[in-house]
Amino acid sequence: MDRRNRATWLVTLGLLVAACGTGGDATTTATDDSGGTTTAPSTGEGGTVRIGWGGAPADLNPGIGVLTEDYTLYDLVYDSPINIDLDGNFQPELATEWSVSDDGLTWTMKIREGVSFSDGTPLTAEDVAYSINLYKDTEAFPLLPSYVTPFVAVEAPDATTVTLTTADPLPNFEYRMVAMYVLPKHIWETVDDPTAFTNDDMIGSGPFTLTEISQSEFVRLSPNPGYWGTVPTVDEVIFQTFDNPDGRVQALINGDVDMITEFPATAIANLQGADNVEVADGNYFGGRLADIFFNVVEPENCPTEEEGGICSGHPALRDVNVRQALATATDKQQLIDVVLLGTADPGLGLVTNSLGDWYPAELEAADYVFDIANANGILDAAGYADSDDDGIRECPAGAECGPTGDLTFRLNYPTDNDEHPRVSDMLSGWWNEIGVKVEIAGLDSDTLTSVCCPSFDFDVMLWSWTSDPDPESLLGVLLCSEISSGFSETGYCNPTVDELYAQQQIELDPAKRRELIVEISRIALEDVPYIIPWYYPRIQAYRTDTFAGWQVGQTILSLEDPSTLTVLRPAG
Amino acid sequence: MSWYRRLWDHRLGRVGVLMLGFSLLVALAAPLLAPTDPYASVRVSIDDIYAPPDGARLLGTDDAGKDVLSSLIYGARVSLLVGFSAAAIALLIGGTVGLVAGYRGGRLGNGLMRITDFFLVVPDLALQIVIVAIIGQSLRNIILVIGALGWTTTARLVRSQTLTIRERKFVERARAVGAGDLTILMRHVLPQVLPLMLANTVLVISLAILSESTLAFIGLGDPTKISWGQMLNFAFSRGAVSAGAWWALIPPGLAIVWVVLGTTLVGNALEDMFNPRVGRHHLEPERHLRTRTDSPRPSAPDIALAIRHLVVTFEGDHGPLTAVEDVSFEVAKGESVGLVGESGCGKTTTMLAALRLLPPGGAIPSGEVEFDGLDLATLPEDRLRQARWTRLAMVFQGAMNALNPVRSVGDQIGEAIRTHFPERTKAEAMRRARELLELVGIGADRATEFPHQFSGGMRQRAMIALALACDPEVIVADEPTTALDVMIQAQVMDLLVDIRQQLGMAMVLITHDLAVVAESCDRVVVMYGGRVAEQGTVEEVYSHPAHPYTRLLLEAIPDMEQPGRSLISIPGSPPRLDELPPGCRFAPRCPEAMARCHRETPPMTVLGRRREASCFLLEEPARV
Amino acid sequence: MSRSRLLAKKIGWALVTVMVVLTFNFFLFRVLPGDPAKAGVKDPRLSAEAVEAARVRFGLDKPVLINLDEGPWYDSQYFRYVGSMAAGDLGESYAFKNRTVGELVGKALVNTVWLVLPAQLIAIAAGVALGLVAAWKRGTKLDVGALTFGLVTWSLPTFFLGILLLFFGSRWFGFPTAGRVTIGAEYTSIWDQIGDIVHHLFLPTLTFALVLLGEYLLIMRSSVVEVFSEDYILTAKAKGLSPGAIVRRHGFRNAMLPIVTLIALNLGFTVSGAIQVETVYSWPGLGKLTVDAVSTRDFPVLQGAFLLLAISVIGANLIAELVYLRLDPRVTEV
Repeated sequence: MDRRNRATWLVTLGLLVAACGTGGDATTTATDDSGGTTTAPSTGEGGTVRIGWGGAPADLNPGIGVLTEDYTLYDLVYDSPINIDLDGNFQPELATEWSVSDDGLTWTMKIREGVSFSDGTPLTAEDVAYSINLYKDTEAFPLLPSYVTPFVAVEAPDATTVTLTTADPLPNFEYRMVAMYVLPKHIWETVDDPTAFTNDDMIGSGPFTLTEISQSEFVRLSPNPGYWGTVPTVDEVIFQTFDNPDGRVQALINGDVDMITEFPATAIANLQGADNVEVADGNYFGGRLADIFFNVVEPENCPTEEEGGICSGHPALRDVNVRQALATATDKQQLIDVVLLGTADPGLGLVTNSLGDWYPAELEAADYVFDIANANGILDAAGYADSDDDGIRECPAGAECGPTGDLTFRLNYPTDNDEHPRVSDMLSGWWNEIGVKVEIAGLDSDTLTSVCCPSFDFDVMLWSWTSDPDPESLLGVLLCSEISSGFSETGYCNPTVDELYAQQQIELDPAKRRELIVEISRIALEDVPYIIPWYYPRIQAYRTDTFAGWQVGQTILSLEDPSTLTVLRPAG
Repeated sequence: MSWYRRLWDHRLGRVGVLMLGFSLLVALAAPLLAPTDPYASVRVSIDDIYAPPDGARLLGTDDAGKDVLSSLIYGARVSLLVGFSAAAIALLIGGTVGLVAGYRGGRLGNGLMRITDFFLVVPDLALQIVIVAIIGQSLRNIILVIGALGWTTTARLVRSQTLTIRERKFVERARAVGAGDLTILMRHVLPQVLPLMLANTVLVISLAILSESTLAFIGLGDPTKISWGQMLNFAFSRGAVSAGAWWALIPPGLAIVWVVLGTTLVGNALEDMFNPRVGRHHLEPERHLRTRTDSPRPSAPDIALAIRHLVVTFEGDHGPLTAVEDVSFEVAKGESVGLVGESGCGKTTTMLAALRLLPPGGAIPSGEVEFDGLDLATLPEDRLRQARWTRLAMVFQGAMNALNPVRSVGDQIGEAIRTHFPERTKAEAMRRARELLELVGIGADRATEFPHQFSGGMRQRAMIALALACDPEVIVADEPTTALDVMIQAQVMDLLVDIRQQLGMAMVLITHDLAVVAESCDRVVVMYGGRVAEQGTVEEVYSHPAHPYTRLLLEAIPDMEQPGRSLISIPGSPPRLDELPPGCRFAPRCPEAMARCHRETPPMTVLGRRREASCFLLEEPARV
Repeated sequence: MSRSRLLAKKIGWALVTVMVVLTFNFFLFRVLPGDPAKAGVKDPRLSAEAVEAARVRFGLDKPVLINLDEGPWYDSQYFRYVGSMAAGDLGESYAFKNRTVGELVGKALVNTVWLVLPAQLIAIAAGVALGLVAAWKRGTKLDVGALTFGLVTWSLPTFFLGILLLFFGSRWFGFPTAGRVTIGAEYTSIWDQIGDIVHHLFLPTLTFALVLLGEYLLIMRSSVVEVFSEDYILTAKAKGLSPGAIVRRHGFRNAMLPIVTLIALNLGFTVSGAIQVETVYSWPGLGKLTVDAVSTRDFPVLQGAFLLLAISVIGANLIAELVYLRLDPRVTEV
């Protein structure tokens, strides 16, 4: 190589070395604007907790965040008036006590004194009222407004009192307050457009403050020294993104991280066998379910063309017999065994078994038992015979039978979930045995949304839901009124259900409210627009040799929650 | 030999064919070979998930409890199907585009090439991802997408091949006769393009299989169809690594490698066959060097170069072939010797052997090449290098590529000087180079130009200048006038003669042109079939040829002074090295052959001083 | 055609191609089904107003090509897009709200380059060296070994090699499974920092390098064999040059010509080729950004990423042709 080339090599090497320092990340640092990799504050006795997760927060602004990871971050940096503990009970946080007037239309919260934001400004009822109003009035905020739409007026008559007025009684006031992250009014009122505000500094009153974030890579948090509650012992919390689940698991085993928030069920055996690693399980806040649902929208309920309604569902699915037969031909336990290695509980309805008393346990006996012979019997009795002997049943004479003239259904699922291909495979096998053919196609979430609702351009779909810690949160999908809004996925419409739902929305007596909810669940089980194969367990794993204080063994498992991170301390 | 036979003979090609054949067999016989049907839905228990290999399930189970071996076997079907189908589409599109672009040329051709370039520029994997997201993940769509994006290299290849063929005479003739474009394309162009396309086809197939596995791995495959890529996708996304289930990961990956490797080997072999590049090269280490401890017998002081009983062999398919046998002659200082004979008679080989520049596979099993007390045939490599160019230099035949096209002519001449006289500076060497170029009539200022900027005749002169660079005692000129037109021929020959006169070096002129030898050489050596037929001074040989071959050669020279005389040629052709006749090499074509000539090889009969011929007729009296 | 005119012509075509790519990108992503305003958020709490507000923010409420409603005819998505591209504004991401595409794509690009460049350098150096040696010692065991090695690595799917190396590398050697550096680490010296970076880069770079190596090796080998069988090599040998000198002064440069163009092309393409490695190793580069953007229908990011990929490939092509023009004096028309 002649001299010219040698020089080029040296220059390149030099550039490489020089670039080491910057590492090329456009990080947003709350306290340090250098843009380079900042080093952690000196490691005191508290230690640095490293947590591996699969996603990453996209938005630091609580108004616009939609991802689970966004909310994990908000929970750590902000406070809300009322919190929910790991047993599902509501606990005071910024609100020391709350009560409702006799007519049930005015709520009053007492706000804790001596609380300040991480920039030193005191937190008062004004900030609380301001925040709730902000969520209520900013229509462009995607998720939070829905929690506070029932409130007509929210005011702060003095520094420690917040009053909220509603038009009708509200049975689930506390749960709505859990999501009301209290923002510093003195900062947010200067913002022109709340939806465009990046909120890079994340000034909150919570136990942690944001030190540094690198999009899709990591988030670094350190304790808020002025926190009104227990200041966390640890020096730093780092969330690191591992898209590759195997990489996440291996990182825990190698000791690169101290806890992982999620991992495939197939790794459980490996983790249990690893040294100094424990696997814990519990429930999600509110529960998370997998579902199989059918397009049952009646032609008269189909949304207009303008609204986007297509309504191409197979007519046979509108026959409850067909749906009941399909439910009888679905082996929930086998699905759980294969897909989740037996770690999940069998599902029942849209009210999950993480909701404590709200869960209609008495209906379990009425659930469909897997029995192919039975299922065949149902279809035989309903008149669906296989007249041409090709293994697929046709409809009763005179009934519309879809584009293929027999019981061939399209089945779609979102491709971002690794379980669905296996589930659809198994369903196809069982349903074949009762004379139903399935055409399987995976679609990415966006495409799936567009064929689901409100266009109703599908037959059968697999998906999943995460419920809020209130029973009515998912039941709304059963309402006739939600068919054109896109919330109803099945197009199911039963005026009785709508009636019952409206009643429970304003029923303050928990026992009576429960009765109404159980009745809705019973009707839904009978009409079976949804089959709920399982309720997901929350399974996490952590190291025992680095930190102690992981909050396990309670109803709900959420090791990335403040409940653990504020009490975590070095092991041994 | 048919192409599939040749493919089988190609060592790596054979391996590839076997590998591919095995995969195809597995795919076709899947239902027979697989222990279970992976498409059937079977009840499994938790223990069946990621179960390690055991007696019943030789490769264990996957994340759904299915037998990996069965999935692997059935997976061959989809992977190969997609690979072949997608490749077919790619070839159809690419071939058509290439043919049309190459044949029509002009605006259409350019336009098509622009489109091809555009597709080359778009990142294919990213585009595949987007398109599959649009049209949905079915097997058919994946085949379409891979095919629709994989045609560009085929198009380019076919186009350049078509362009070359279009200019060929037989195509022009067909057009002149009035054949339609389509006919010409189908009948004349396509068959010529097809062999190269075949090689490309196989490579396109391997790329298609890789594409399918990549798409499936990313999650864009059809999950209802078992393919190797899909198996890897399930394993990877369903935690096979952290479960330690290597059996779910490694077999499908290896299967992909197996098939891709097989197709690559076949493709490379086909390419070798249809686009034969020399498999061996000039810098291969010498393998059959003989050594000797003694020195050769010194020759008379007036002799520059003495070749004695030289034998040269080459590696053949079934053993060594003798190209030169028992050749002996001497070149005196300042003398010019013409080495003549038909193509393939061994004249060039003899002189290449003298400089030990034989192509790989060549060897000098016996004989010696004596120069100044040294035997060049057995000299160690480093000492031989010293002797090359300083003592013996060569002007190669067909100077088209004999000079490095990316370096200037003067540079290359200077290099020769500085190799042997390292104390000379670059400037000095360059000065000498310019002098030499001036000497051969090119002009010193052209020293900085590149070989492609010289005409054929000038390049030949440059080669002569190069040969003179180290003042050799003997120059070998190998067919210096082939491929030059008559006027230039004369110029070059005159130059050689002049130089010899000026510098007094000896010359060996290898040629088939007896007339040139007559004009410019002192002596002549006639070779036939790898042996010396006759040698002597030009005067002796031309006026009284002793060998029947020489006589026929002389009669065959057209004589301008006898325009009416009909041209004759010697019937028959020289013997092939692997079919050498017993006895006299020339006997089959010799009009005066006797029975004896077909049985025994005639010895060299000495007819005078440095005058000899090998013919049994000479042993008969009264025939001189 | 003179070489400067040829140069101008090539640059001109490159620019035209970029324009075509821009337009192609625009329409390609709008053909994707799904609604970016909802962007994968299937949530009962999502109000219609919020969706509409998002749509307006993204400019998706405007007509796609030409505005036939009230307002100027060029107030359409396409012309807004072209206009902002011309001004160098790549827009804001749909998924990472309020972050500019330039910022996201730029950062991702740097990360990809971090991964790709060392791998390329290693692959080139090793591939060229091995290819040269294999060709030179053609027919020997060394050649057969190198050839087999090259063929096998060429046939390995990138992601498979990545999985294997991840599996063994993390389990047996404790290499990290994700991340560019140990986050929040304190370094006592620059060597510590470099060591940490290398520790994290090792597996992905090795994966990438091995995959590229095979191709370079095979092509170098065949190129060298071809060059070494040329007549001018024989001339050089006849002149009395040692084999080493012949290789250095005549063989290497000529054999490198096809490699040079290959390197340039590969450099342009590796940005997209890194998708597989980035997926396996969770490397936050351009490939991963692109794949994620497809599923969230993040048009601006997709447009930006594809544009960048196209420019890098076009640019690399151009550079390859220019380098070839410079190296080979015979070329007047490529």
